[in-house]
Amino acid sequence: MAKRKTKSTFIGLKVTSQQAETLAHLQKALNSPTKTEVLLRGLELLAASSLPAAPPQPTPRAAPQIATSLELSQIEAEARHYLHTLEQTKNRSEEVMKQMVQELAKIDQTVDKYHGDRNCLIQILLDIQRENRWLPRDALIWVSEKLDIPLSQIYHIATFYKAFSLVPQGRHSVSVCTGTACHVRGAPRLLEKVTDTLKIKPGETSSDLRFSLSTVNCLGCCALGPVMVVDDEYHSNPATEEMEKIFSACE
Amino acid sequence: MPRLKSATDLEARRQEILARRDPKRPCVTICSGTGCHAYGSEKVAQAFAAEIGKNGLKEKVDIRRTGCHGYCERGTIVVIFPQEICYLRVKPEDVPEIIETTLVKGEVVERLLYEGEDAQKIIHEGDIPFYKHQSRIVFGPNRFIDPKSIDDYIARGGYAALAKVLSGMTPEAVLAEVKKANLRGRGGGGFPAGTKWETTRNAPGEPKYVIVNADEGDPGAYMDRSLLEGNPHSVLEGLTIGAYAIGASQGFVYVRQEYPLAVENLNAALEQARDYGLLGKNILGSGFDFDVMVHRGAGAFVSGESSALMTAIEGRVGEPRPKYIRTAISGIWGKPSNLNNVETWATVPLIIDKGADWFSGIGTKGSKGTKIFSLVGKVNNTGLVEVAMGMTLREIIYDIGGGIPGGKKFKAVQTGGPSGGVIPESLINTPVDFDELNKVGSMMGSGGMIVMDEDNCMVDVARYFLNFLSEESCGQCVPCREGIYQMLKILNRICAGQGRSGDIELLEEIAEVVRDASLCALGATAPNPVLSTIKYFRDEYQAHVEERRCPAGVCKELISYYIDPKKCQACLLCLRNCPVEAISGGKNLVHVIDQDKCTKCGACLEVCPTRFGAVVKLSGVPVPEAVSAGTEVKRKTRGEK
Repeated sequence: MAKRKTKSTFIGLKVTSQQAETLAHLQKALNSPTKTEVLLRGLELLAASSLPAAPPQPTPRAAPQIATSLELSQIEAEARHYLHTLEQTKNRSEEVMKQMVQELAKIDQTVDKYHGDRNCLIQILLDIQRENRWLPRDALIWVSEKLDIPLSQIYHIATFYKAFSLVPQGRHSVSVCTGTACHVRGAPRLLEKVTDTLKIKPGETSSDLRFSLSTVNCLGCCALGPVMVVDDEYHSNPATEEMEKIFSACE
Repeated sequence: MPRLKSATDLEARRQEILARRDPKRPCVTICSGTGCHAYGSEKVAQAFAAEIGKNGLKEKVDIRRTGCHGYCERGTIVVIFPQEICYLRVKPEDVPEIIETTLVKGEVVERLLYEGEDAQKIIHEGDIPFYKHQSRIVFGPNRFIDPKSIDDYIARGGYAALAKVLSGMTPEAVLAEVKKANLRGRGGGGFPAGTKWETTRNAPGEPKYVIVNADEGDPGAYMDRSLLEGNPHSVLEGLTIGAYAIGASQGFVYVRQEYPLAVENLNAALEQARDYGLLGKNILGSGFDFDVMVHRGAGAFVSGESSALMTAIEGRVGEPRPKYIRTAISGIWGKPSNLNNVETWATVPLIIDKGADWFSGIGTKGSKGTKIFSLVGKVNNTGLVEVAMGMTLREIIYDIGGGIPGGKKFKAVQTGGPSGGVIPESLINTPVDFDELNKVGSMMGSGGMIVMDEDNCMVDVARYFLNFLSEESCGQCVPCREGIYQMLKILNRICAGQGRSGDIELLEEIAEVVRDASLCALGATAPNPVLSTIKYFRDEYQAHVEERRCPAGVCKELISYYIDPKKCQACLLCLRNCPVEAISGGKNLVHVIDQDKCTKCGACLEVCPTRFGAVVKLSGVPVPEAVSAGTEVKRKTRGEK
């Protein structure tokens, strides 16, 4: 059994020697195993061995013999399944890459819109913020490179102004006006109701990224006060039931 | 669109626009300012477009979406020209009736008109009491103009003042006119605009800059926004005239990014003005070059301060600097820069057009012209009002604002935003005038006017402003950063019922240091809300500190909710609505609040039917012993009070 614990590698992956043995057998048994198939099998074994608190492994069979066609077809089916998953993962990471490239290209466009003028840094950051609803670190680094402005200076601005967020914002923005007119007309009570319903405080985002809650100082529609705005829709002092309806309509 | 090459060209264009327009042709104007937008004016406009199309009136009726009309309380506002019929609180479902009755039959939809106290219906906008007492010289044109149409502005004589300046006035003459008019800055300080312009003009260094301050950060104030959204060309025209007088070739508009519609309309206006040759090179063939850039602010109250704003335009963190040298001499990139508020700039074309004498004929000795206020809070007619300087607060609040809603008693009015103070009822006859308001411990500020009634706690109001300021203080200087924080701490303590004797005096002491030693106006004026509330409502502070009582019943830690067993009718409403299940009782059983569980959210008071009035707020007195569980209610019999 001690043998199981020794580690060895298989096409760059760490596997137990037991697994390595199996893989070697596999390779031999299948006449022309594609690299992907072997890799997948390797991955699967690796995953099984590294799962936290994995159920105890059944006693390993003595030197697995892959002889019957049934077994072979089983392995084939398994390989196909994993091949599909891998394709998906590969596609997804490609998508992520593509997305990142697109995002950075968009930043290039924004920077170009302001003719790469360093004085327009705040305007550029505002555009990026509006596009993403937050300022991803990658974006800031990219801007820093493009405009040749130290990243520290960019962070100075990004943390000073309230319009910027350095963490992702929820899909739906909820803001409660706490301007003076709304305050004297009961904004604190409305804010309390909203925080109770959403279970987040102002400045926070729900863990499922559904809602972000903020307070604003005046929306300029004081006749409706106290006001709550959900995704640009204005609601004048909604009652608890109405509020729940508004929130549940948000995906 | 061919560029206008001279003042004559502009006038010819104006005549051409007017000739194209039939003044008798019906026009439906829909207020699309922010307030009405929040009421859903978008849907009303769509309904009009659809219904007019359906009725085959497309060729006969115009639709115009205008800027803010000011009467936000009754939005969405629809005015139908040429009769000038004003419909209030219009909903999309009212549209077919308006078209059928007014546009087709030429009659009036009575139910949508303003109804006066004696149930008398008022048809014309100008006759409604809210408008009748105003002098809407700057803000008035909003309701006739589609902010996205430069032709609308030109048709009403827009850019004529600029043409007048460029075709026959020297910069010195313009300067002299503005000085003679004694136009004072509408952004808060009330500094004479002409003097400031002259300083920048005479300061060494080129180029010079002119800037519009549209970083309207005061909570509860939105007049700059409505002007910029509703009539952007008036601001641009004023700015261009100022640039000519000062000798600037580049202008900036610093506008809050929270005002997307203002940014949109402003950018559209800039494009049109450039197309018409009213901005850019060789404006109206005069040889004068000028262009404007829009800079969106990213949300920092302190960036509205002149030196901070200029630093922000440079693309840096908008923090103020000590102003041993004024920004008029050394502003953006160390160059002479003249900064004025939106409303100040929008007033300039009027002064040029109608003359300094006309302008200085309005107002008081020290404060000329009109001022726009945002009248909000506990007042019947919330909205934007423009009045001649010198009108008293009472006239504004009662004659225009229609008094306090719900039969409540007026307590105080707060002017000047977080830098201003509260003015009590005893001083309600104070006229709006830069100097008079300063005298009573408040200030004109940018024009916020927040009305408060007996249900508002003055200590809470002071705490509210200090909380705002402590968040907005940039933290560079100690008096502001620490002073405001310490004052807030004391106020929090007082509101929480833990005030100590000597706290009020300590507040006054800290306030003095903060006022005298802060770097910029944010800190220097921060104590105003505290000092003015202490000055006029000291007894309220004392009640909090000495009796642990909040007379207005606002400060949570000092109040308790109690159900009067004699009045409770066991309707179960409060019991069902209590979010923490602190109310016990049942059918026919007196409801009782468990004081330990109660979070003082006030839901029970809100839902208790007024005819029972069983739930009461107590402050400063012990909560009476609860009745034993299972006590049956004493039913009211008919006629019994």
